[in-house]
Amino acid sequence: MRAYAAYLLHRFGQFLLVVFIGMNIAFVVTHATPIDPVEQSIAAATAFGSTSPEAIAMMRQSLRELYGVQGGLWPQYASFWKRVLVLDFGPSLSAFPTPVSALIWRALPWTVGLLIVSTTITWVLGNLLGGLAGYLRDNRSLRVTGLVLMGFHPIPYYIVALLLLIVFGHLWPVLPITGGAQMNMARGWSPEFVLSVLQHSVLPVLSLVLVGLGGWFMGMRSLVSNIVSEDYVVYAELGGVARGRILRSYVMRNALVPQVTGLAMSLGGIFNGAIITEQVFGYPGIGALLISAVHAGDYSLVLGLTTVSIVAVSVAVLAIDMLYPLLDPRVKVA
Amino acid sequence: MWTVVRDLLRHNRGFAWGVFLLGFVLLIAALSFVSPYNPLDSYVVPPDMPPGWPHLLGTTSRGQDVFWMLSFAIRNTLAFGLLVALISRLLSLTIGLVAGYAGGWVDRVLMSINDTFIVIPLFPILVLFYFVMRDNMSWVALAGVVACLGWAYDARLIRSVAMSLRTREFTETSIFSGMSMSRILVEEHLPYVMPIVFSTTMNNINWSIGLEVTLSVLGFTDINTPTIGSMIYWANQHTAMVAGVWWWIAFPVALVIMTFIGLFLLAVSMNEFIDPRSRFGRGPT
Amino acid sequence: MTAVVQVSKLRAYYQTNQFGVQRDVRAVDDVSLQVQSNEIYGLAGESSCGKSTLIKTIAGAIRPPLAVQGGSVVFNFGGRELDLYASGPEAAAAIRWKHLSYVMQGSMGVLNPVRRVRHSFVDFAFRHIAKPMPQFMDIVTAHLARVHLGAEVLQAYPHELSGGMRQRVAIALATVCKPDLIIADEPTTALDVIVQKGVLGMIREVQRELKSSLILVTHDMAVHANLCDRLGVMYAGRLIEEGATRDIFSRPRHPYTAHLIASLPRIGHTATIKALDGAPPNLADPPAGCRFHPRCPLAMDVCKQQAPAFVEAAPGHRVACFAVNPVGVM
Repeated sequence: MRAYAAYLLHRFGQFLLVVFIGMNIAFVVTHATPIDPVEQSIAAATAFGSTSPEAIAMMRQSLRELYGVQGGLWPQYASFWKRVLVLDFGPSLSAFPTPVSALIWRALPWTVGLLIVSTTITWVLGNLLGGLAGYLRDNRSLRVTGLVLMGFHPIPYYIVALLLLIVFGHLWPVLPITGGAQMNMARGWSPEFVLSVLQHSVLPVLSLVLVGLGGWFMGMRSLVSNIVSEDYVVYAELGGVARGRILRSYVMRNALVPQVTGLAMSLGGIFNGAIITEQVFGYPGIGALLISAVHAGDYSLVLGLTTVSIVAVSVAVLAIDMLYPLLDPRVKVA
Repeated sequence: MWTVVRDLLRHNRGFAWGVFLLGFVLLIAALSFVSPYNPLDSYVVPPDMPPGWPHLLGTTSRGQDVFWMLSFAIRNTLAFGLLVALISRLLSLTIGLVAGYAGGWVDRVLMSINDTFIVIPLFPILVLFYFVMRDNMSWVALAGVVACLGWAYDARLIRSVAMSLRTREFTETSIFSGMSMSRILVEEHLPYVMPIVFSTTMNNINWSIGLEVTLSVLGFTDINTPTIGSMIYWANQHTAMVAGVWWWIAFPVALVIMTFIGLFLLAVSMNEFIDPRSRFGRGPT
Repeated sequence: MTAVVQVSKLRAYYQTNQFGVQRDVRAVDDVSLQVQSNEIYGLAGESSCGKSTLIKTIAGAIRPPLAVQGGSVVFNFGGRELDLYASGPEAAAAIRWKHLSYVMQGSMGVLNPVRRVRHSFVDFAFRHIAKPMPQFMDIVTAHLARVHLGAEVLQAYPHELSGGMRQRVAIALATVCKPDLIIADEPTTALDVIVQKGVLGMIREVQRELKSSLILVTHDMAVHANLCDRLGVMYAGRLIEEGATRDIFSRPRHPYTAHLIASLPRIGHTATIKALDGAPPNLADPPAGCRFHPRCPLAMDVCKQQAPAFVEAAPGHRVACFAVNPVGVM
């Protein structure tokens, strides 16, 4: 028990380090520019509409604080962190005066839902297929599946999303290609709404799954084909243990251990993929929000989303780290 | 070393296909040097013409020949990927080798930092970077930033190779026989490190090209430079798909997919080659 | 006494095809032997002489690139015969652990690292000992006591046990179903001398109690001298001498065996031991005729052309050497 507590402490420390370094990078990026970010943001944000002078003054003030361009470097740093820690990024410039946190809060569930569903499907299915492919080396359909999956894997998320958009948008329009749910439908837990949500999520999920499967498949397959010659598997075969049991309890259980670590490491990349996929399919998550925020010059929103992204991914990694010792009893602190 | 390459070409189909695909892509990129059109010009040929003669892959809505634009686009995209890969090699080799060889607290500190960069979602940070720099961002600067964010995964792989080399018997034998550390590094260890550097470089180029395409498609880079991503960006701006000018998108996408798969095959076949267990695990075929 | 296992003309090669080059490593090349019931049979020989491959083949632990090229392995357990390579996998699975068990080389990794020890016992032995789980656990606990281990071992993970404890768990696991034949591959290599002594004593105790047969493979001649009733010596994939342990040690007939015995350090023996010239042959390309002829002090012309037959030179004592048995057939 003591070892587990020490391990947890260590991983929590790593979590704090990630958030700290991430936010510092954000700070450095925004303060290393040669241009005046405040004026540029205001110029971009007010370019298309007519905004009242009081509104502009409010924007300028909150931006100044966020950017921290008043005062010397250390006060800037302090006010930056003050805002970040309470997740108060002020009002959004493009959707003035809606606070940034409200916009993020509205979009976050869509992204979280998309990520949880697609990551779960990808990881479980990819590992299952890869494990079978590694154990049953002569199976033809597994080999063909493997080739197809590996064909999709190196292609970036954007291109696969685009291909799906073309196929289902122009060639065979059976699935909706934009939005999170039907536009004019009332939100809530009614069956029609839920069905509409499911329908609209098929393409984004499919896009993420197609790209991701290949990676898990390849990793699991090579892990399993190495594990199969490990002493404890050979011994179990010599002991006449049933094949199904060997596959589950000896091969898969051991192979999944590094795959869980791999999952934690790839969450950042999966998140990146989700952002771009949301953009292609007009899915109302924080990815699409981020991109439109950039186009609109809404610095507060962009910074807020960056912060939330870093924190969310780090929390997910921490959660996986905490579950890891349950799978592998050998884990040590370092 | 050339016998290794020749053997791989002859017996490893993945490697052979990878070389073929990549060779084709490089050929197209090389043709850009003899292009009759300047890629920055527009409306030099009749727009929206489908593939045929003399415009083999058709023309864009901006009056550019798709084939010759594509040759510049793939050249620039590849150059970007290569630049990122080179810069990040420096970082990942340095950090990976130092962490692997030094061990102890140096290793722990470096790996904590390394893991941080693996976890942090890079895309929002790149977006933030673009947001702040806007039109002042040059390709080299972007390559530098991407490289500084993308070294972590490869550094870890290189570190594990270095760690296993450090503790292998032949290293200790060399040290006992009085070989200097630099000679050991170059003569004994480099042959083990090179294959993994090669395969991680291929993967890194794939990854950075993917980033370039994604960023350019969103308009987050200098879209006047012809790259694969910017071609797709302009095609989207002119609603090419809806207007029926499918060749403007299809051919860049096809060529970049070839690039990805080619590089990927090279990386995977090199990995298979490195891992001796995968070689002997297969029976007589 | 009936033979518990009969190996006839067994050939097993490793076949690899690397970059177009096909290579056959002839690790087991025409081996015939018998093990009687309630007998400890030792297999001796230096590294890479094929003895590990031989017992893997006898146990049926064949995996590509290793493949059986010819010959047979026939078991006889309590009157029922089983030709291992002529029967299907279900027949082989039926005898596993109940009649035929295996102690692996280096028990460091034979137990599933992510499961507690008791799961291994359940996986291997539960279906053979047809009793409900609580009784089964009692049987296992009692059996562990035989190898001087407490019941708390069952709750532990493998990495929480010491090397010696794991080796004893492996022995307990291999003997819990009271099999007719136990195959032990270098059970004491990589253990320190004191633990070795304990483990060997344990093996002998268990064998005496269960009256199982035991095939013991090790390159350590002292272990053979201590434990084995009969001894077979392998060289380059072939059996070259076989007989009662006492006979082999006191009067080795094959020049290789003679050298092996002579090289054992003896108390009071101070003269320098002369090493054999050369090295064991490459089994992918072994020498023609008798495989020992390049290094043999008694080599004759016929040795280079024909392989000597493995025949009796004295009752119960077989040798493959033209110097001992001038009549050779191959």
